Amino acid sequence: MKYEAVLTTCPYCGCGCKYYVEVVNGQAKRVMPCKEDPVSEGKLCIKGWNAIDFVNSPDRLTSPLIRDGETFREATWEEAYSLITSKFKEIKDTSGPSAFGLLSSAKTTNEENYLMQKFARSVIVTNNVDHCARLCHASTVAGLAAAFGSGAMTNSIPEVEDADCILITGSNTTEQHPLIGTRIYRAKERGARIILVDPRSIQLASIADIHLRQRPGTDVAWLNGIMNVIINEGLADEMFIEQRTENYDEFLEEVMHYTPEHVEEITGIPRNDLIDAARMFANAESASIIYSMGITQHTTGVDNVKSCANLAMLTGNMGKASTGVNPLRGQNNVQGACDLGALPNVFPGYQAVTDPASREKFEKGWNMDESIPETPGLTVVELLNEAADGRIKCMYIMGENPMISDPDISHVREALDTLDFLVVQDIFLTETAEIADVVLPGASFLEKDGTFTGTDRRVQRVRKAIEPIGSSKPDWVIISELARSMGSDQFDYESPAAIQDEIASLTPLYGGISYQRLDERGYLQWPCPTPDHDGTTYLHKGEFKRGKGHFFAVPYRPPAELPDDKYPFTLTTGRILFHFHTGTMSRRSGPLNKEVPTGYVEIHPADAAKLGISDGQAVRVSTRRGTIDIPAYVTDRVPEETVFIPFHFKECAANLLTNPALDPIAKIPELKVCACSIEAIV
Amino acid sequence: MNDELRAVAAEILARDDIDGIVGLKEMHGTVRPCFFTDADQLPLMVVDSRYPVASVVRLLLEEGPDLRLAVVCRGCEERSLIELAKNHQIDIDSITVIGIACDSDTAKECNCSKPYPDSLMVGTALENWTRDTYDTYRQMSGEEKLAFWNEQLEKCNKCYGCRNACPVCFCKECELENPLWVKRGRLPPDFPIYHLIRAFHVAGKCIGCGECEKACPTGIPLMTLSHLLREDLEELFGYMAGRSLDEQNPVITKEEYE
Repeated sequence: MKYEAVLTTCPYCGCGCKYYVEVVNGQAKRVMPCKEDPVSEGKLCIKGWNAIDFVNSPDRLTSPLIRDGETFREATWEEAYSLITSKFKEIKDTSGPSAFGLLSSAKTTNEENYLMQKFARSVIVTNNVDHCARLCHASTVAGLAAAFGSGAMTNSIPEVEDADCILITGSNTTEQHPLIGTRIYRAKERGARIILVDPRSIQLASIADIHLRQRPGTDVAWLNGIMNVIINEGLADEMFIEQRTENYDEFLEEVMHYTPEHVEEITGIPRNDLIDAARMFANAESASIIYSMGITQHTTGVDNVKSCANLAMLTGNMGKASTGVNPLRGQNNVQGACDLGALPNVFPGYQAVTDPASREKFEKGWNMDESIPETPGLTVVELLNEAADGRIKCMYIMGENPMISDPDISHVREALDTLDFLVVQDIFLTETAEIADVVLPGASFLEKDGTFTGTDRRVQRVRKAIEPIGSSKPDWVIISELARSMGSDQFDYESPAAIQDEIASLTPLYGGISYQRLDERGYLQWPCPTPDHDGTTYLHKGEFKRGKGHFFAVPYRPPAELPDDKYPFTLTTGRILFHFHTGTMSRRSGPLNKEVPTGYVEIHPADAAKLGISDGQAVRVSTRRGTIDIPAYVTDRVPEETVFIPFHFKECAANLLTNPALDPIAKIPELKVCACSIEAIV
Repeated sequence: MNDELRAVAAEILARDDIDGIVGLKEMHGTVRPCFFTDADQLPLMVVDSRYPVASVVRLLLEEGPDLRLAVVCRGCEERSLIELAKNHQIDIDSITVIGIACDSDTAKECNCSKPYPDSLMVGTALENWTRDTYDTYRQMSGEEKLAFWNEQLEKCNKCYGCRNACPVCFCKECELENPLWVKRGRLPPDFPIYHLIRAFHVAGKCIGCGECEKACPTGIPLMTLSHLLREDLEELFGYMAGRSLDEQNPVITKEEYE
């Protein structure tokens, strides 16, 4: 009898809870929380407790698959590699490297993301590599980098409980990041004031001192309004503004237009509530802003993020413990996928591809003969648009499922169908893999070593607990073998530890991180530039990464699509506690699927009454993009004239409805607001 | 105390009638459960209060019913083995208890009713130990208690962690997951039925280890509920779960066994 409790990191959200997986005779049996883990402290959410459930699903891919007419046939790895290599070479020769698009994965390890972008940039020689951070926090990366010089959560999860005031907006924290929800409850117990700004009456509303319910898509207006009050009441931190920021005057001029009365007209937030919230936030000793996709997934996503940054700087809540601007990242390793350069404009560690010195460094580091393109590549939605137009001819997608996750799925399908060649690497035959030419079976988080970077820049180990299922292989092995098949001699790694050593040598942000140090210390938070550096709990202490914090004047712009006579409701989409992203993992987990087996549309009782809809009844929801049939959940969680649909469910996919209109800078689609109509199905 | 434990463990592991010891080890700076089968592993063995080993015993016996185990047990862990045996989940005759005593900090953290096992082998039983008796709570009116629980249970994240961490929760089909009682997929779960089902379903088995409260991500004071229920059972029936193999659970009906 062999029993081992293997310490690893959760593959669901960005909290980064570590726990033990109990393995008996080579079988993963159970999850046991780790009480010494600084994030979870021996507590978990329902997804964490059940995280090993999908690993043994009978649906796991166990062999490479090659398209055979309408279906697939099983193939050997050699056969799959040789087919992909000949196709990749043929397309590269005839159409050039810019005809390729590669999607990396926020679910895979740092090492695997590093290799995917290295494959794109050094084997294919294109910057057309991106991943689903584009759909969740691209606006954070762009907005915070512009304001502060670094596009990540400024503070750390454990600090949240010591804040005196917490402003939560566009984050349903107890459902999407339950173990950060823990810290909010603890802060409240300690006497902290909680300001919630969310159109929906989510669970945190029950402990909020103030709950502002803005009209979806009006975030710049209420943020400017709060700052207008703070300035007019003399509550701004003038010393901080003077010493540590720039461009205040231009910002001030813009904010002065947003009187509480004007903001009430735009947002629907009663002026006195707005004033109370402004005073509460500004008067707190330490105030922390927590946000998530309710801020980022808008055509004004970058504007929203910059406004959050403005508010933190205006009140001097930066560069100190329990303050800051704290975007909560959705996927276990979406932070790491960004950090390791699975983005079209930056190398690992956010070193710009437009910078000649950076290009030279990586060309040399990877021993390349060819030059890396000096212009940024295409983003996720752009790649798919170009595919539909025939300019992108080949895609290699690892651990992503755009057929559920991306806006306007009908268009995604059309784009992927137009490709000459599509390779999908995943642990399941996802909706995207179903239309691939070759499918490569990856190994799950339990079957490999590596690191994930949690939302608070916390790099932690993922440890192999069991052998790969069937003939599946870890993604780092697959990419390396494929690169060697393509003729590269720069992908000879003994282990993920060796890949991390190469990352450290080329990436100052991760320069001091090694497996040995992670084993000794449990985690390291970047920036961690040298092997004797302790890591960084909170950013911008004393000085911003970019020098001075930059105030942006941000005028309010309405969402791209507003309700009208034909589509009179506002549709907003999001996630729920019991499921994750495209449902690929969570819907294959018995306990999670039992809680919520399919999607639903939340509709206010008054609207339901007007339309003759009763709870549980099937309704038809339509937008300019598409139509779905879905059960109604009649609830006053949503305000009148606004409906909410979780996006996890393919049989009633919210993203058949959503608007692919993009933020002009971050290219993030407006998944949080579009216009829809609803009718009862009789 | 670690040295003392390792010495005792070495003797027991050398016995022919023991296949291995379930205990805790320290590795990569964290403590975790371990199945010690070789004397070479014993230098890693530690005395620690953080992980309940009874559920590891149950997992091992499911896979290897004939295993003859020794188990490093604190007071609560001995009590949970007794409850598992009474409920026919394990054969306690095949288990050797290596009893260790808890210090006062640990006892206080769990508000323990008896911070040492009957078969004490390592450490000294804590003397003059007095527990918190929840007087503030007891003094509340019925209305105040209802409001208190309403506020606390509204935070519930429905992780089922209180059940998962419980050393005496072993039902194959859990009533918490029965939609007849609790609507599925709703957050917070229905008040107060979700938590009442759990409290009453473990009443008579609950050995007061507090693992439920320690696992709760939103800090619901579940020990208040469980300790008060334990005290009620003692007062009403002179019964205490985990005290002896011979005491019959007074709140269990015959039907549950059928």
